Amino acid sequence: MTTLQDAELDRLTLGFVPLLDAALPIIAREGGFFEAKGLEVTLSRENAWSTLRDKVAAGLLDGAQMLAPLPLAMSLGLGRAPCDTLAPITLSRNGNTIVLSRSLAERAGVTLGDEPADSARALGAYLAAHPETRPRLGMVYPFSCQHYQLRQWLALGGLDPDRDVELGVLAPPRMVEAMQAGEIDGCCVGEPWGSLAVARELGTLATTGVQLWPDHPEKVLGVTRSWARRYPATLHRLIAALLDASRWLAADPDHPRQARDWLALPPYLDRSVDHLALLSLDTPPIAQRLFGEAVLRPNPTAAGHFAEHIDQHMRSHGRRLDHATLSECYSPVHFDEVAHQPSATPRRPDR
Amino acid sequence: MPPPLKVLLVDDEVVRAAMVEEALTNEGHQVICRLQSPASLNEMVARHQPDVVIIDMESPDRDTLDSMAVLNRENPRPVVFFADQHDPDTMQAALKSGVSAYVVDGLVPGRVKAIIEVAIARFDSFQSMRQELDKTRNQLAERKRIERAKGLLMKHQSCDEEQAYRMLRKIAMDRGQRIADVAESVIDILDRLENGS
Repeated sequence: MTTLQDAELDRLTLGFVPLLDAALPIIAREGGFFEAKGLEVTLSRENAWSTLRDKVAAGLLDGAQMLAPLPLAMSLGLGRAPCDTLAPITLSRNGNTIVLSRSLAERAGVTLGDEPADSARALGAYLAAHPETRPRLGMVYPFSCQHYQLRQWLALGGLDPDRDVELGVLAPPRMVEAMQAGEIDGCCVGEPWGSLAVARELGTLATTGVQLWPDHPEKVLGVTRSWARRYPATLHRLIAALLDASRWLAADPDHPRQARDWLALPPYLDRSVDHLALLSLDTPPIAQRLFGEAVLRPNPTAAGHFAEHIDQHMRSHGRRLDHATLSECYSPVHFDEVAHQPSATPRRPDR
Repeated sequence: MPPPLKVLLVDDEVVRAAMVEEALTNEGHQVICRLQSPASLNEMVARHQPDVVIIDMESPDRDTLDSMAVLNRENPRPVVFFADQHDPDTMQAALKSGVSAYVVDGLVPGRVKAIIEVAIARFDSFQSMRQELDKTRNQLAERKRIERAKGLLMKHQSCDEEQAYRMLRKIAMDRGQRIADVAESVIDILDRLENGS
């Protein structure tokens, strides 16, 4: 039995970008976990992070799967007018890959090593010997773990991300086709796009997000602070349904395969998961994590890696990251209230 | 006359792009269109140095534009998102119509607003054009369905067209349904009878 209050809203729309870590909202919808909490949720596929962000800020979406740094960037007014935004539950940890085109990886002798610095040094040495080569590397958004991890990896190889390579932004679903068309020589992107580039024999894995920042938060649910204030019970039911979805995913070895089949439905990831037999979880080298209360509980300290980069960015514009905003963005207060409720059963509700 | 502004239009919807282009050209602006061109948006902006970029809200290229101000330190034309400097009403209208815009820092707000309002108006009229087209297509399909249901009724009930139509209308009134919907279930039932299942 649950003691959650009645939701103020019974119909909501959440935005997502086609990525494996949209899994929890998709499972919660397809597995009936939203419905069991009295919520009718529409999942709206968005083509760009900036569009998803603007729709959340303007109230056209109730909330969305967001890049973990996005609520902080929105609250601080980076990239658009400020809009206080919260991350009341983490949706995934890890999942990013840095992939180089096969031709560049072969020329530079880049392979996945035990340490991210191994491949970075190989690329650094190659570019030092071939100063006419300036690879074009794609990432997904300026305020993203992908951007910061790419910069950090390049720095490990003694490379200057602003001088030695050309960084550009592309939406995740475009990465693989851009690599195929020769428009980019590498990228840092979330799953399934990294493993798809490898499976299609276009790219070689150079390093992974988990090698660079072990167990960093990658995606979060993002809602505006004003939305959370107006609809606290709806928010709590949303968190509870997502938690139930994650418990279900962990409960049976067959569930990741079922989850993969839901993700493969056309409105979600469609053909881009063809190369996956199941939703691979906690498996090296990518080690995507989607369940466990410690994994999903938001936590300002776990935001440290990207918060540092955001602070650096702000300092170059004469501002500083304030810790009050950081703490509020990733506060576990809503999560803890829900997680301390009597635990729901991890099986699918009857529909 | 103020000097014309250079507008880069990014829209995969060919007809809509042509509508916006024509309207802005009539206002004296210089418009460069980027449809599904292979050239990257970064290169387009670097080559043409537009004062304003109008882009379909749903375009995946939005993130590319969004990042230019943050990333491209050597970019001579920092583009900023229109929302940051202009009135919320126009912003909301733009969002609802699916228009987003990036402008060069320091442009006179009034001139930018005029351009964005032209784009909003064209996006809106394109939308209603498309809805009108969908409606017409639906009506055509419905009319065909009613004709077919009448034909089947005439055959099965050995009645004339007028009587068949009155039958459809009566069922529709009894059930509180639209005639087109009744026609569909009549076709369904009589087809099955005819095929002997």
